[in-house]
Amino acid sequence: MRLEKCWFCSSTVYPGHGIQFVRNDAKIFRFCRSKCHKNFKMKRNPRKVKWTKAYRRLHGKDMTQDSTFEFERKRNRPERYDRNLAENTLKAIKKIDKIISDRASDHIKNRLKTGKVQRQKEARKQLELGIHLVKAPLALAQDSSLCLPKIKVNVSQAQTEENQPMED
Amino acid sequence: MIQPQTHLNVADNSGARELMCIRVIGASNHRYAHIGDVIVAVIKEAVPNTPLERSEVIRAVIVRTRKELKCDNGMIIRYDDNAAVVIDQEGNPKGTRIFGAIARELRQLNFTKIVSLAPEVL
Repeated sequence: MRLEKCWFCSSTVYPGHGIQFVRNDAKIFRFCRSKCHKNFKMKRNPRKVKWTKAYRRLHGKDMTQDSTFEFERKRNRPERYDRNLAENTLKAIKKIDKIISDRASDHIKNRLKTGKVQRQKEARKQLELGIHLVKAPLALAQDSSLCLPKIKVNVSQAQTEENQPMED
Repeated sequence: MIQPQTHLNVADNSGARELMCIRVIGASNHRYAHIGDVIVAVIKEAVPNTPLERSEVIRAVIVRTRKELKCDNGMIIRYDDNAAVVIDQEGNPKGTRIFGAIARELRQLNFTKIVSLAPEVL
C-alpha cells in the first residue's frame, strides 16, 4: 500500500480513492478526485490553476525548499520489518507533521506581513482625515489634539469697512 | 465496454492491426466485454505478408479499455485506448511480443503467457 500524490493538485491519494489514467506510453496519472480528473481531461496546466500546489509553489505562495521535504521522498527499496523502527517512525511522523505545518504557516504569515503594515498605515491616515465622523463636535472642540491643525487665512481690512453701511 | 462493431487496436505482433468485435464469448446479446473477456473479432486491417489476413475471423482477449477497470484493492484504472491480443482456441497468444501496458487482472484469468510477455503490467 502506498500513499500517492495527485498529479493535478498534489494532495495525497489514499487507497480506494480517485482514478488512475494510464497513457499509451505507460505513464500513470493519478488523481485524487473527479475535479482533478476533469481538469486534466480539459488539458489544463496545473501550474496555471490557482488552487493547486504546483501554482502556489511556483508563485512563492507556499514554501518550496525545506529540509523536512527529505522525509517525504519516494523510497523504492522496502525496509525489513523491525518493531522498534516502526514505533520510532510513527512517533517521528507525528512530530515532523507538526514542524512542517508550523513552518508552512510561518512562511505565509511572513508573506502577509508587509500587506498588514500597509493596511495599518492607510487606516491611520483615514482616521486622521475623517475624525469628524467618529467624534462628537463638542469633544473635538475641547480636545484639540484630535483635530487637524487649523490653518489661518488673513482677510484684508479694506473689505470689511465697505460692507458695514450695507448691513444698516 | 466492448460490444459488436467496436474497433480495437491490436497489442501484439501477430500481424493484425485493427479488429472489429463480432461477439462477446460467454455472454448473452446485451452484455459488454471488459478487460479479460474473450471476443470473436474480424480483422479489419492487417500488416502485409503475415499469416493473418484482412477479413479473417479470429479470437482475441481484451487487454486495455477506455472504460475504467475496478480492481479488487479499490484502485480504478483507465487506459487511453481499446486494445486486444489475438489468441487461439486454447488461450495462447498468436504473436510473440506484446506492446503497451497490460492489466494485472489477466494473470488471475490464466493468461499468464501474455502477462509474462508484457513490457509493463499495471
